[in-house]
Amino acid sequence: MSSGYKPDILWSPHHADRYVICDTELSLYRIGPAGSSETKAGALPLSEETAATLLAINSDTPYMKCVAWYPKQEPECLLAVGQANGRVVLTSLGQSHNSKCKELVGKELVPKHARQCNTLAWNPGDSNWLAAGLDKHRADFSVLIWDISSKFSPEAVPAEKVRLSGDVDSGLVVTKPLYELGQNDACLSLCWLPRDHQKLLLAGMHRNLAIFDLRNTSQKTFVNTKAIQGVTVDPHFQDRVASFFEGQVAIWDLRKFEKPVFTLTEQPKPLTKVAWCPTRMGLLATLTRDSNIIRLYDMQHTPMPFGDEVEPTIIERSVQPCSESIISSFAWHPSAQNRMVVVSPNRVMNDFTVFERISLAWSSTTALMWACGRHLYECTEDAGQGVAAAEKDIATKMRERAQSHYGHDTVQVWRNHVLAGGDDPQLRSLWYTLHYILHCSYTENVEQKQQSNKQSLIYSGIKNIVKSSSGTTETRRCWSGSDRQTDVPWYHSEERSLALQLCGWISRGPDIDVEPFLKSLEQEGEWERAAAVALFNLDIRRAIQILNKGASAEKGDLNLNVVAMALSGYTDEKNSLWREMCSSLRLQLKKPYLCVMFAFLTSEPGAYDAVLYESRVAVRDRVAFACMFLNDAQLPRYIDKLANEMKEAGNLEGILLTGLTKDGVDLMESYVDQTGDVQTASFCMLKGSPGEVLKDPRVQCWIENYRNLLDAWRFWHKRAEFDIHRSKLDSSSKPLAQVFVSCNFCGKSISYSCSAMPHQGRGFSQYGVSGSPTKSKVTSCPGCRKPLPRCALCLMNMGTPVSSCPGTGKADEKADLTRDKKLAQFNNWFTWCHNCRHGGHAGHMLSWFRDHSECPVSACTCKCMQLDTTGNLVPSDSV
Amino acid sequence: MELHILEHSLKVASIAKEGIQICTHGLIKLAFLPSKTRCKFFSLTETPEDYTIIVDEDGFKELPESEYLSVADATWLALNVVSGGGSATSSQPIGVTKIAKSVIAPLADHNISVFMLSTYQTDFILVRERDLPMVMHTLSSEFTLLRVVNGETVAANSTGVTNGFVKPKLVPRPIIHPLSSPSNMFCVTSLDPDTLPSVATLLMDVMFYSGGFPNNVLFTSASGELWKMVRIGGQPLGFDECGIVAQISEPLATADIPAYYISTFKFDHALVPEENIQSVIGALRTNESTGQ
Repeated sequence: MSSGYKPDILWSPHHADRYVICDTELSLYRIGPAGSSETKAGALPLSEETAATLLAINSDTPYMKCVAWYPKQEPECLLAVGQANGRVVLTSLGQSHNSKCKELVGKELVPKHARQCNTLAWNPGDSNWLAAGLDKHRADFSVLIWDISSKFSPEAVPAEKVRLSGDVDSGLVVTKPLYELGQNDACLSLCWLPRDHQKLLLAGMHRNLAIFDLRNTSQKTFVNTKAIQGVTVDPHFQDRVASFFEGQVAIWDLRKFEKPVFTLTEQPKPLTKVAWCPTRMGLLATLTRDSNIIRLYDMQHTPMPFGDEVEPTIIERSVQPCSESIISSFAWHPSAQNRMVVVSPNRVMNDFTVFERISLAWSSTTALMWACGRHLYECTEDAGQGVAAAEKDIATKMRERAQSHYGHDTVQVWRNHVLAGGDDPQLRSLWYTLHYILHCSYTENVEQKQQSNKQSLIYSGIKNIVKSSSGTTETRRCWSGSDRQTDVPWYHSEERSLALQLCGWISRGPDIDVEPFLKSLEQEGEWERAAAVALFNLDIRRAIQILNKGASAEKGDLNLNVVAMALSGYTDEKNSLWREMCSSLRLQLKKPYLCVMFAFLTSEPGAYDAVLYESRVAVRDRVAFACMFLNDAQLPRYIDKLANEMKEAGNLEGILLTGLTKDGVDLMESYVDQTGDVQTASFCMLKGSPGEVLKDPRVQCWIENYRNLLDAWRFWHKRAEFDIHRSKLDSSSKPLAQVFVSCNFCGKSISYSCSAMPHQGRGFSQYGVSGSPTKSKVTSCPGCRKPLPRCALCLMNMGTPVSSCPGTGKADEKADLTRDKKLAQFNNWFTWCHNCRHGGHAGHMLSWFRDHSECPVSACTCKCMQLDTTGNLVPSDSV
Repeated sequence: MELHILEHSLKVASIAKEGIQICTHGLIKLAFLPSKTRCKFFSLTETPEDYTIIVDEDGFKELPESEYLSVADATWLALNVVSGGGSATSSQPIGVTKIAKSVIAPLADHNISVFMLSTYQTDFILVRERDLPMVMHTLSSEFTLLRVVNGETVAANSTGVTNGFVKPKLVPRPIIHPLSSPSNMFCVTSLDPDTLPSVATLLMDVMFYSGGFPNNVLFTSASGELWKMVRIGGQPLGFDECGIVAQISEPLATADIPAYYISTFKFDHALVPEENIQSVIGALRTNESTGQ
């Protein structure tokens, strides 16, 4: 017979470590950590961490149909058992005999007519009340509400009536229920409504769900549905009820009880258990017959009936608590989050925690947040000072740079790399390149305005410059300071000279004078580099001098003296010991520039790979070197090769080679792909020669993304500054006016730039207003001279001096946008609510809505500020 | 009050005692293996005279044609009274007594023959399919008529035909048929379908072989109610005579005595609480005598 009963499981309402398994008997278990000293040898492992110990068995109540645990703390472990004949027996487990519940244990609540007891529910408020749902009887009631404290047994059961039941202990038998409900029908399931303990939700009343109020049992609310096999109220949302029928679950809202809010996807097999998770909002677990999975429906993100016909979305998941065995029943743990114990038909139990879905969100800054269960984790960048700049996230860097006006220095362009932090060699190289490009282009502009061809050449990068090179002259120069002829061929052309300018070695062609450059390097303490540049310009003496200076400088490296000494021993004799030793020992030099100096001195003419491919040496120096020592055949090949390498690596030093051309955009693309630094990309490309590169969709994409980033960071002022900066450099990006304020009377725009059109000869003087229209009061419409609307707060007519500066010439446009020449104070601007159309001066409105949420116009209840999605946000950058 | 007209088309048949073995296969299938047939309504009553079977058309196909099997011509429909519920008065009489005045008597007044089948859960009033318009006309004033179609309950449209119906004759109804009351007692109970497999062999034994139940094996009535039977009819009653149920149930209703009423192929049977048997017989005798 036991095979017919599938074990069910029930958690103690007050002891989180106790539960009862009921099949043909009741078994009380205690759950505890596995392997602890408490657990005895007989403990059953439930999971890797937990084990259950059997505490007590009660087999006094045969023919169990349903069990309900007494909800109060005391007496603990009192159970109501509903039997196949409709009797409800109170019993207990593992209690000493003198415990408080002694008088209750053994009490029987007997219906008038025997039939199966389907369901039991203790009243959550009055714990003496127990509702029992029974099968149908011809004329009897199917729901009986018993008072377990009742000692009243009106008609003592006559002796002859006891014959069939074999019950003698009539003192404990209660036959008079407190309430009887639901005549002539079966009750399949019931539950008390947590909101009102006098109300009871019944399922099975003629295929309907009915809510009875015990204060007036003749009244009921009911709805026809098939889903009546079980009902359960969401403990977290007391108007939400799940009811099921075969494979289908319907979710109801008691406030809108006419039809289910929604039904869950139908399962092929009939459901056996449906339970809301007590520890988590809106999580419903369902189990079907002969299944080894529990299906979970997450209604967390469904605000209950929002609109009338909104179908909420539900996230459906399934879990498989024990891999092979089918599940007979499950029960949520009353307090441990998402935890449940499942039991298989042969009573194998499993402790299982449903893993919470993880939701994750990036902030617009570098922080990352994720939530799992009740825990919220935030992962932010270590903002400590010790963090090396290179390790910082690019978003942090961009934010910092945006705040330090990075990219906005248009006069000393190279300074932008300092604004960027000054610690990124690539940015340093990039901004110097841009600086030299702009500088050359400017001097070209000033000197030879006619040569626009050359102008664009400057922007097209050294790669294109050397290709266009013609008329290269080959010379053999002397080592300066000696008349000894070198056998090093030295090349010169106008284009090469331009390239050297772009490399920053010389400031102006065609003379090769690197002295200013050397001086600046010395100033910055770049001794090795200066020495190398001097040497490449065939001035060993100057190189040695620089090295000596470096050695004697503060914190100077004394080794530089040694290097200087070695350098001074230079001989061009092919087989000298010096040459031999230098070419082998130079590799041990740590400093790349020292290394390439000896490489240069020991190389065969024209074979300078050791210099050209020394990657630790700055690209610009290598390129400048190549421009001097490689012939017309070698040079483009080298530059091409280097440019491709740079492009692939996304190395911004390569911009020197590619210029701001399509090639340059390719390179920048690869840089952005690696770093995500759209900021540098945007600023760099804006510097490009007007037109071409800015039209590239990639460039537009970077610029838009950068603007979006600034907006997302609430750097609205920065974004505005960027837009201004952008419109100066790329006039095509300047947006046209899209919003006009029109006069209420004449319907014309109140902006003077429109009214500057001649007025068909009709002067305003005829209206008796003196003065010219352009000098008229700002508070009247320039079209019809009628006053402009009044500010709702100060009641003055609005109007801004912006209108009084009509038609500024194009030449002045840029100047107008600078800060000190603002056209009108923002405080005086027109603002109005798009909803109620009330408004006033921006400054007044701002201060009003700082303290109010409603419109300042009396009797207008518009919550203007709440309609403004960004109105309540504060910009995070200060002006 | 609602009156549900169930969708089953029922046949009433009788199997002679000696012919039961040829029907056992079908009967076991109908009684214990509901998933193997499409039968939705099945009742088996054993009396000393015969076995009466009430079964829907799908179930009827399971029974073999045989000389032992006699079938009433008509197709019957089952009516079921559903009280709206919600009434808190617990003093309502049980079963057929309750519906005596509201259903049985009006039908008898309109000369509609009924066939009663009381069960533990409810009372089924079987009427001939051809009488349905008349039934609906008769009862529409007192009941909300609902018809079950494919498992869904829908409002039944009264045909609205009233012409040609005989005016009810409101006369006292004397009991015409002889009554008898055997001394044995009956227990009425219900069984959870889940437990059916575990008691199937026992039930089969009771149905086809031996005579009685071992004590308390079905874990039956809690209150231990026992019932005594009143058998109506000396000769087989046939199916055409109307008013028989009304003759019995009205006096019981007046005396407020609960009863089960089970019609079989040949006779009618009323079960009344054992403690009431004397007053029942008394009440019925009174009616009998006034009739004669």
